[in-house]
Amino acid sequence: MEKISVKVCTGTTCFVMGGANLQELHDLIPRKYGDKVEVSGSPCLGLCSINWEYSKAPYVKVNEAVVNEATVEKVLAEIDKQIGNN
Amino acid sequence: MFIDIACSQKRKYNQNAYGDFFASNRFPNMNRVVAVLSDGLGSGIKANILACMTSTMLLKFMENNSDIEKSCEVIMNSLPVCKVRGISYSTFSAIDCYDDGKAKIVEEGNPDFIWIRNNEVLKPEYQTIQSKDFKNRKMKVYNITLEKGDRIIFCSDGATQVAMGSKQYPLGLERSGLIKIILNKLNNESDISSKDLSDYLVKQIQYIAPNKELKDDTSILSLYCRDPRESLIFTGPPFHNEKDNYWANTFINFKGKKAISGGTTANIISRELNIPVKSHMSLSMGKLPGLSKMEGVDIVCEGILTLTKTLEYLESGKCENNAAKVLMDFMLDSDVIQFLVGAQMNKAHYDPNLPIEIEIRKNVIKKIALVLEEKYLKKVNVQFI
Repeated sequence: MEKISVKVCTGTTCFVMGGANLQELHDLIPRKYGDKVEVSGSPCLGLCSINWEYSKAPYVKVNEAVVNEATVEKVLAEIDKQIGNN
Repeated sequence: MFIDIACSQKRKYNQNAYGDFFASNRFPNMNRVVAVLSDGLGSGIKANILACMTSTMLLKFMENNSDIEKSCEVIMNSLPVCKVRGISYSTFSAIDCYDDGKAKIVEEGNPDFIWIRNNEVLKPEYQTIQSKDFKNRKMKVYNITLEKGDRIIFCSDGATQVAMGSKQYPLGLERSGLIKIILNKLNNESDISSKDLSDYLVKQIQYIAPNKELKDDTSILSLYCRDPRESLIFTGPPFHNEKDNYWANTFINFKGKKAISGGTTANIISRELNIPVKSHMSLSMGKLPGLSKMEGVDIVCEGILTLTKTLEYLESGKCENNAAKVLMDFMLDSDVIQFLVGAQMNKAHYDPNLPIEIEIRKNVIKKIALVLEEKYLKKVNVQFI
């Protein structure tokens, strides 16, 4: 099974829209999933500027799936969903 | 050539105020630095006032290229008269120098300055000017040319007279003793910064003083002629996308230290140069996004929040341990700072629904440039792209 990659945007918009609270994923994910999931930050996923009028920051990418208005719970749910699919 | 200048001081034992005063100003556009060290009569507040008045007045006179003789008469006539001694008095050393090495030095009453080139002390010629109004006051005026690697050390007499009367130093450390300490240090650490050298010297002088109690205010003003430490900070995506590659290459080929402030900016440079950028969430510090890593780049951080915080730290002098402090230290460790400011805006940043107001990048950079120039005497160049 391939590792699931989680990328948390640490760009300006995401950070002020609640991305700062997603830092706990860094501790939480390895504890919960061990080696199955790899979590890292991204300087900017570039998603806020695409649809800037309706920005849904903060963004997190779980493999290619984008989690809008991300919270720790939403990110974990997406990971569980993808693990279930595998 | 860059003139690195720093002054370190220690107070007389049991005094709350410094009786020596240092003032300096840098004029980046004229490649000029002016500095004055003054030692006020007596000690404590009285000496502080005398020295402060002398330094600030003389600095202004020198900045305006006023006749030095007349300037000194004006200063001596305007100092308050000491009730105990019935005189007004303060000594000074002043230097006006340019990046091409031309320097004018004026001394009155302070120990002769020390000029070091290739670990040897030079003996420059000088002209003596007698004060018209004050009998015992003579100024020494030197016109010299500094070369790269040269050092100039000024001191107050607290430095040369330390430990006077002790067995080891009956006449005090004297100028010759101070020279020995300086040359010894330079032998071991030839490229030591002015700040580190002046800090080291005042500490050594305090060690020499019996019980480490200084009997007089002690100041060391150090100048070092060296290559400037240059740095480049790239922030914001360039206005024309088609020029991304050009600016990315300009950035990476810069010879000095390099920093990127901005997530999108980091991604553009990473894409154009094919250098991966890695963001470690674990590096997040405090209330700001953390640092990322890119090979060949010293600092990669978030943009506008970090810059706004850096500006706050630069203005207040107070900081917390986070990415803004790292960026501030990066700036303060440079002599010449260049900003490449991309003019493209991310409209999402100006959404009124954001929980905090985000400043416009151009304005923040302009303010940072101003405080770096005026408060920290840095040479700053801002280019909007």
